[in-house]
Amino acid sequence: MYTFEYLRAQSVADAAKLLASKPDAKLLAGGHTLIPTMKLRLAAPKALVDLSRVAELKGIDKKGNALVIGAMTTHAEVADSAVVKSSIPGLALLAGMIGDPHVRHRGTIGGSIANNDPSADYPAALMALGATIGTNKREIKADAFFTGLFSTALQDGEIVTRISFPVPTKFAYSKFPNPASRYALVGVAVAQAGGAARVAVTGAGNNGVFRQAAMEAALGKDWSAAAVRGIATDAGKMVSDIHGDAAYRAHLIGVMARRAVAAAG
Amino acid sequence: MGTYGSRSGAVGMTAIYKAIDKVIVKAKKVAGFVLEVPEETVAFDAGIFSSTATNKTLTFPEVALQAYIAHKFTGAQLEPGLKEGAFHDPSNFTFPSGVHICELEVDPDTGRTRIDRWTAVDDFGTLINPMIVEGQVHGGVAQGVGQALLEGAHYDKKTGQLVTASFMDYAMPHADDLPPIQIAISSTPCPSNPLGIKGCGEAGAIAAPAAVINALTDALGHEDVAMPATPQTVWRAAQKSPARMAAE
Repeated sequence: MYTFEYLRAQSVADAAKLLASKPDAKLLAGGHTLIPTMKLRLAAPKALVDLSRVAELKGIDKKGNALVIGAMTTHAEVADSAVVKSSIPGLALLAGMIGDPHVRHRGTIGGSIANNDPSADYPAALMALGATIGTNKREIKADAFFTGLFSTALQDGEIVTRISFPVPTKFAYSKFPNPASRYALVGVAVAQAGGAARVAVTGAGNNGVFRQAAMEAALGKDWSAAAVRGIATDAGKMVSDIHGDAAYRAHLIGVMARRAVAAAG
Repeated sequence: MGTYGSRSGAVGMTAIYKAIDKVIVKAKKVAGFVLEVPEETVAFDAGIFSSTATNKTLTFPEVALQAYIAHKFTGAQLEPGLKEGAFHDPSNFTFPSGVHICELEVDPDTGRTRIDRWTAVDDFGTLINPMIVEGQVHGGVAQGVGQALLEGAHYDKKTGQLVTASFMDYAMPHADDLPPIQIAISSTPCPSNPLGIKGCGEAGAIAAPAAVINALTDALGHEDVAMPATPQTVWRAAQKSPARMAAE
């Protein structure tokens, strides 16, 4: 790790000012991706702006038919939240499967989506639930937010403040873990809202999280595991590595989708 | 030269055992001088030196002290001190043996293998510390499961770069990869060393990969599966036995 300046933001406005004032500064949320990256010297920001004391970024609230989660809410907090469990229980289960207890007590939803790791769990949930990402500048729909591998629609200096999830009639996430890292080798999130279905896949696509349109159409007509049986995903668009080649991942998408639909009820 | 494999007890302890015998021989000589009786009459039992020629006795610490003070004998009669060494060349290998049974279940849709139960019965001869022996078996089984299902070093064929360069890619066995391991011990003393020790360090790691792969080939109905039998590997292997998978 190279030397850096550590700055503690007191508010979102403060954080934005600090980011703008320091060349090559990065926001620090839970740090479980950024700090290891800095230790490997793959990243060397000159300054870190720590968001951990910014109260306005915390909190889980039900506002009408929307579940609103502050960007600095940890995975453990989402997993344990009575509010989340009563509105979108599948989301609490998803959060409870991220990493391990140590990771879950530091990692945040804002940090996770801002990083958009192609093997992360949250991006699939946000896409499937049609969530809206609030920043200090605007609101961005999930479909527009996740733009590719490790890339998002966030501009320089833009800070994720909260994520708003419309509460669906059904939601579940089924994850097949990488045997080594326990990240999603393939993770499929399915949601039903307003009679329509959304299916989002993480871990498998060669351009990050994506929606499986054919499965969405089938589930829109018939919400059942049988409805998605036999619907293939193009292996040509999948990632290949030692843990799973493209054909295997494409196959697992079908399996995980069926299991997610069954779990959603 | 080091201990090689599982030899500290069988070979090292036997050498110590022989050295102790030599110490007792010399200690009896010292005791003879101190008790003022012929050496041949001195007996050693349960830490006490005694003699048929006297009703005085000496404890081991008393004899040891006398060996170093050397007041009761001259250097010409007996070299002072109580220090002996011994080398041991074992007459044979030891043959620890046992049976490990692995019961597992394959998810044919994903190729994921879940080990449901593990039963091990091992014969290590004389055990020194049964709790540590169980720990050895647990650890060996864990490593064997890792070899069978999880671990593998991969190099990029074009660049020679190690791909599995961290535990993010090199799959080490975790606690949740393993079931509780039932262990039973059967003790047949080894005939080729006086302590009856066979050694236990290698049993788990030797038995486990074979037990796991035998269970997998039993589940798959064919033997075309290589280690590590990762989910991807097992899924592909399972495609070759669809009738078997469907019937299960």
